[in-house]
Amino acid sequence: MNKTKHSSHIGVKTFNSVMPVLLAFVIGAVIIAVIGENPLETYRIMITKSLFDIKGLTRTLQVAAPLFLTAIATSLCFKANIFNMGIEGQLVFGGFMAGIVGHYVTGLGSVPHKLLCFGVSILCAVVFALIPTLLRAYLRVDEMVVTLVLNYAMARILEYLSSGIFKDRGAGYVATPPVQDSAKFFLMGTTKVSPFIFIAILVFILAAFIMIRTKLGYTITAMGKNPSFAEATGLQTRRTVVVLMMLSAVIAGIAGAGYMLSEKTFYTLDFSGSPGLGWDGMLIALLGRHSPAGIVAACLFYSALKTGVEKIGLYTSVPNEIVSIIQGLIVLFLAVQFMDERYGFMEKFRQKLAAGKEA
Amino acid sequence: MSLIRVVDLTKKFGEFTANDHINLTVEKQEIKGIVGENGAGKSTLMNMLYGMLQPTSGKICINDEEVKFNSPQDAMAHGIGMVHQHFKQVPSLTVYENILLGAEVTKKCGSIKTPFIDTKEEIARIRALIETYHFQLDPMETVANLSVGQCQQVEILKMLYRNVDILILDEPTAVLTPQEVDWLMENLKSLAKSGKTIILITHKLREVMAVCDSIAVIRHGVVVGETRKADTSEKELAQMMVGRDVVLTVSNEGGQAPSDDVIYRVDNVHAVNEAGAEVLHGVSFRVKKGEIYGIAGVEGNGQSELVRILTGMLLLKEGHVSINGEDITNSWPHELRQKKIGIIPEDRYRDGLCRDMSLDDNAVAGYFTEDVCRRGILNRKAMHKKFMGQVDKYDIRISDEYGNVSQLSGGNAQKVIIAREFESCPTMLIASQPTRGVDVGSIEYIHQSLIDFRNAGNSVLLVSSELTEIMSLSDRVGVMYKGNIIFEVDPKTTSVADIGLLMAGTVPESLRDKA
Amino acid sequence: MGAINSIVYETVVYLGPVLLCVLGGLFAYKANVLNIALEGMMLMGAFMSVLTAYKTENLLLSYLAAVAAAMALGLVFSFFGVKMKGNVIVIGLAINMLVPAVAGFIMKVMNLPTITLSWFSTKSIQLNIPVIGDIPIIGPILSGHPPITYLSYLMILIAAVVLYKTRFGVYVRVTGENEDAAVSLGLKTNLYKTAAILIGAFCCGLAGANISMERLSLFTNNMTASRGFIAIAAIYCGRGKPIPCTLYTILFAVINALAEYFSLQVSASLLLKAVPYFAMVAVLSIASAVNRRNAADRGAFAD
Repeated sequence: MNKTKHSSHIGVKTFNSVMPVLLAFVIGAVIIAVIGENPLETYRIMITKSLFDIKGLTRTLQVAAPLFLTAIATSLCFKANIFNMGIEGQLVFGGFMAGIVGHYVTGLGSVPHKLLCFGVSILCAVVFALIPTLLRAYLRVDEMVVTLVLNYAMARILEYLSSGIFKDRGAGYVATPPVQDSAKFFLMGTTKVSPFIFIAILVFILAAFIMIRTKLGYTITAMGKNPSFAEATGLQTRRTVVVLMMLSAVIAGIAGAGYMLSEKTFYTLDFSGSPGLGWDGMLIALLGRHSPAGIVAACLFYSALKTGVEKIGLYTSVPNEIVSIIQGLIVLFLAVQFMDERYGFMEKFRQKLAAGKEA
Repeated sequence: MSLIRVVDLTKKFGEFTANDHINLTVEKQEIKGIVGENGAGKSTLMNMLYGMLQPTSGKICINDEEVKFNSPQDAMAHGIGMVHQHFKQVPSLTVYENILLGAEVTKKCGSIKTPFIDTKEEIARIRALIETYHFQLDPMETVANLSVGQCQQVEILKMLYRNVDILILDEPTAVLTPQEVDWLMENLKSLAKSGKTIILITHKLREVMAVCDSIAVIRHGVVVGETRKADTSEKELAQMMVGRDVVLTVSNEGGQAPSDDVIYRVDNVHAVNEAGAEVLHGVSFRVKKGEIYGIAGVEGNGQSELVRILTGMLLLKEGHVSINGEDITNSWPHELRQKKIGIIPEDRYRDGLCRDMSLDDNAVAGYFTEDVCRRGILNRKAMHKKFMGQVDKYDIRISDEYGNVSQLSGGNAQKVIIAREFESCPTMLIASQPTRGVDVGSIEYIHQSLIDFRNAGNSVLLVSSELTEIMSLSDRVGVMYKGNIIFEVDPKTTSVADIGLLMAGTVPESLRDKA
Repeated sequence: MGAINSIVYETVVYLGPVLLCVLGGLFAYKANVLNIALEGMMLMGAFMSVLTAYKTENLLLSYLAAVAAAMALGLVFSFFGVKMKGNVIVIGLAINMLVPAVAGFIMKVMNLPTITLSWFSTKSIQLNIPVIGDIPIIGPILSGHPPITYLSYLMILIAAVVLYKTRFGVYVRVTGENEDAAVSLGLKTNLYKTAAILIGAFCCGLAGANISMERLSLFTNNMTASRGFIAIAAIYCGRGKPIPCTLYTILFAVINALAEYFSLQVSASLLLKAVPYFAMVAVLSIASAVNRRNAADRGAFAD
């Protein structure tokens, strides 16, 4: 009986993740058709160019590397009921500083230079994350609004820095000078992926281990499912909020530095893309329902989408924004459960009613 | 012709049948008692009668006419009103606003209705209503400032204003002092005389025998007996309700006389609520070694706040708490546990257990000992083994050993907490409402565990609104009223009536000299 | 005098749409629905008003289109959040992601990086009040603004009256405070939640039209620039009460206007633009500390 219960449970979970994706793609297809393009052809290009040739597949992995990190960083907080939206801001700050250190510090070996870049990036991300963290933990200021607002503040600060003192005079637009070769991750062989992917995977596995097998992971689950229970049974929730937000800032810092050194090599105003690596990570975390396995699947899917869209511009006249629309729709549909995961919301409500009244 | 006739009414929640082919009749102007244990299905039945739930099958007839209620409003349109156990009130609004909620009187501009509320007219109407039924309430008072008994009056008035003929009361006495209970019972009788029909849901047999004309007993979702009051007795009802002979009170014996060593001291504790008003005004008491110290009182007199402070959930503003001479004022929950204080919280699904986590996870909550958690890494196998050991030792009935807590009944869920707390060998136990919503079998078990724990030389702070529980288990009882312990009594030499008076804030004659 | 006048004017320019957004959005807050989609709804209003104006050259239709589009988003929000009982934070995020994507998509298809209205001058709808307009401080507050700015002033009164003097207002508040009580008396709480969300959407639509069409007669993507989140912060700080919420909004607007003004005077202008965000965090923190001054609960979560 237990076995069947468990497998059907996973089935329902999968269904609830796949259904929004399907629906979003169907609506996306309608939109593509409306502007007079062929949706099936568009999707075919997206899929074949991202998964079914070696260049595309390795490119997908390259795109996925920072997203694994931002997704797990988001999950660590979201799963514990901390709506930390600051990953984006921490990532761009860390990435920016890694770029600065990568350019201005010279004469270091390949490994020390990279380590320095990562160290500075992590440090900056953590320091920046301290503001919402301390406010949340000690003054209970709503972390969602604060982290959202600080992202905007950071964007302004970096705009100032990159168009002022750190501007690359040679560039025709706002950008910082590119990092030295000693700090760069180069693509491996004929592939489109750099060794940063291994760092990303390693960090991801560590974070996943924390989530599944440690007391901290237990605390995350307890805080997410029943914060009052977590507090009453002596889990140190305030300390955990600090630990989790710091941990996710560290991961954001790694992601930012890695992205800078392996992909961008210099900072521009659209460094993190649209909607931004932090937001992408949040979507992946939601899509993967905060489980490491789910995140891996969602991240690969999502990266394939991003890789594919780079190509559709070459073959069709569908604007790139179609992917943002599909992403938005996926998030929208993810918000509701298409099928009851346990006995479903309504049934839960009714049982509560019955049980509550009986008590 | 019966006023209400319920025919083969069945309600299923998934695979669980809460009501199984219930047949029942209620005559006009009678007071009908519906009794049964917690979880027997009484409330499900009433929620169907009141339109909050819809039956899976079967029918409800009023005056021999079949009715279908899709919402409470449908039921109210047929003259059925309900007073819920947990009052459905809006604390920030006044008495009259609460009573008129959903039936506001709006200003008229000529013959055209406007959306603006006519406050004057509303107050006048409610004042008249209160006078008609001889209640004691100020319509302008904010509900947040009312006592529990007054809140209940508001709920009853809410229904009377809507001209209901049939009034359903769900466990109305659970939160009242004995004197308030008497007042309510008298009022119910006079309401019945004035033409109303009353359905009283309760598990307190004494009250049923005092006011009801006829009684139906429900067990496991089935009506196991329906009888006139004259044809039955309290004992017979109890037997029907539980399905076997029951020992209603555990004998409080086998303990040595408590020594004079004070284990746990609470001194002059003050606390304020969110709005800045003081809710505890200097609570002080001592718990000695080998003693059960009971705190009695009507709910809402500060017991919840006190327990939440003593268990580390709230901060106190002033005062001290100590155990064995060590100061533990404002200690965190994990520090309290290190000091060997076990905690059975008031709301077990909020503070004691996590419904959506596994039984194993719940069994180690608060106690991450070396065997299950080394250097922050959990040993899942050891956790499961630990829990399965508790299942046997504490007779916890589970259906899926790898499942979540949500599968457990109230009594078994409480046993998970008791097992967890007792297994870590505390010397002091804080137990709040330990038997609320628990079946009779588990109540006996829990009471016996507390006595055994005490008899092993440990101390217990027992907070309960069940007066019988406090009286039968405690060695000493402090009565709490309006944020203070106003009197300490010996339960063996004090009458229920006297404690009732204390709970209402008056010190009875017989105890004055001891004060 | 010129400096003060221009700061005051700038304050009102910023205040108008945010205030409207706050006063509409607080209904949902009172009904216990956390609507973080205000930003997206406002951007939708901004986009649709200019797009319609561009296509039809009809002012009235543009206002209608802004309101209709924002309310359509409100309906989507209600359907998923209230009817389907989805996670409202996630839904809000989704809408905030979707709107710029849709706007960007349509602009790409139309091959326009920004939509500029050449036929329309913002001056033409500004209400210049004679005499009063020349008084310092009061003048720039009362005179020389487009219609929606005045509507936002009026909305302070409307919101307060509707919320506290009408039956609808009571129901919205009760729905937020104790939904059980409302349901037990047969109130259709979902209806009130939906209505509260739609009021917010309506106001956001107009606020958006104010930002794009009325003030600048053009649309660029993401031009609402986090005003929706400022509005949310103001609603939080004022706990959904119209007057305190208004005061917080004014505070944010003043800070923003000061930053704007001084950024024109000094070289580190871009850096100054970050100041309002930090100021907002500070205000949020202070408000939170004040609101919680009596709270005795500890740990990291309130009940």
